[in-house]
Amino acid sequence: MTEDTKLVERALKGDRKAFEMIVLRYQQPLLNYLGRTTGERETALDFAQDIFLKAYSSLGSYRPTWKFSTWLFTIASNHMIDHWRKKKLPLVSLDQPVDAGDGSLTPQVPDPGPSVVRKLELTEMRSRIERALESVPGPLRELFVLRHVNEFSYEEIADIKGLPVGTVKNRVFQAKEMLRRRMGEP
Amino acid sequence: MKGCLSPDRIFLYLEGQVAPGERRACEEHLGRCPDCRAAFEERRLLHEAFSSLPPLEVPPNFARSVMAGIPENAGTVWRRIAAVAAAALALASGLLGFHLLTGKNLAGVLLSPSRALGAGLGDLLPLLAKVLKSAGLALELLYGLLSSLAGGLGALSSVARPEFAALMLGLGLVLTGLLLFGAKKLLSVGERS
Repeated sequence: MTEDTKLVERALKGDRKAFEMIVLRYQQPLLNYLGRTTGERETALDFAQDIFLKAYSSLGSYRPTWKFSTWLFTIASNHMIDHWRKKKLPLVSLDQPVDAGDGSLTPQVPDPGPSVVRKLELTEMRSRIERALESVPGPLRELFVLRHVNEFSYEEIADIKGLPVGTVKNRVFQAKEMLRRRMGEP
Repeated sequence: MKGCLSPDRIFLYLEGQVAPGERRACEEHLGRCPDCRAAFEERRLLHEAFSSLPPLEVPPNFARSVMAGIPENAGTVWRRIAAVAAAALALASGLLGFHLLTGKNLAGVLLSPSRALGAGLGDLLPLLAKVLKSAGLALELLYGLLSSLAGGLGALSSVARPEFAALMLGLGLVLTGLLLFGAKKLLSVGERS
């Protein structure tokens, strides 16, 4: 039995301290995910609170055979989908190829042109990534964040999103190539 | 060049997501293809930056604010309500079962001891009053008797001889006995009244 599962069991018995431990464990990764996916810190904090409350009220549906982080991020991902629907932001179908308006994002050979990032310092690159992320469609951005910020495996992301692993790999790659191109723009 | 690496393969290579055999093939190709090497180097830097984005700052009291939004012991409150409801149901079932089995009203049965106690006290209080009244009369008689006896003995000892005094004392005791008997009679008269 994992530490998370033990904490869930205690929380289900009414131990509030156990759930507070869960919040303390996951507040950082959840805020990283929500902050990078929404691009707004205050919104991310509100969402994180909502998601923890949803998780608390749904604890009874959690099964110890599941990885708790995957379960929690599934709630978070569904919350983000609701948010995008309410804001009527364009939802990208993750089953269809993405066209960013600048041609295919799945080139089969390396781009022989000048390097976009070679001369950038790492700090500057991170700063540009943060800015470029805002222009990446939400669902692609979300997959990128789950993979590179939260460091979920492709298999875990596939579980969270209910998608085939191959689709997840392809979409994360598309997000990265989109970011690379956006970072090169003035 | 033949067998050039696609960008997605480069990223997967950087993430350690390619099979060992494919990994060796990628490395061999990178060793002889400058274009792929340049593309690889660029994506290696990108990969490093992607994977090292700084964490966002969590407010110090964030966990506490989350917990403040959770109803206080919501589960416990519901469990208590359920326990009270179960107890009430059990009591109602017990009353109904008692009534069905005995045909008696359980409330009446529960009230009968207090009724019996009330009736007992009703009988006891007049008896207590009679005892107190009798004790008062007895003390009054005893005081009168003792006073008369003391006065008589004083007078007798001053005028009569010892034999005569002893005779008079014996007569006095007999008279006292008669007086006590009379007191008993008086008590019985008091009871009748």
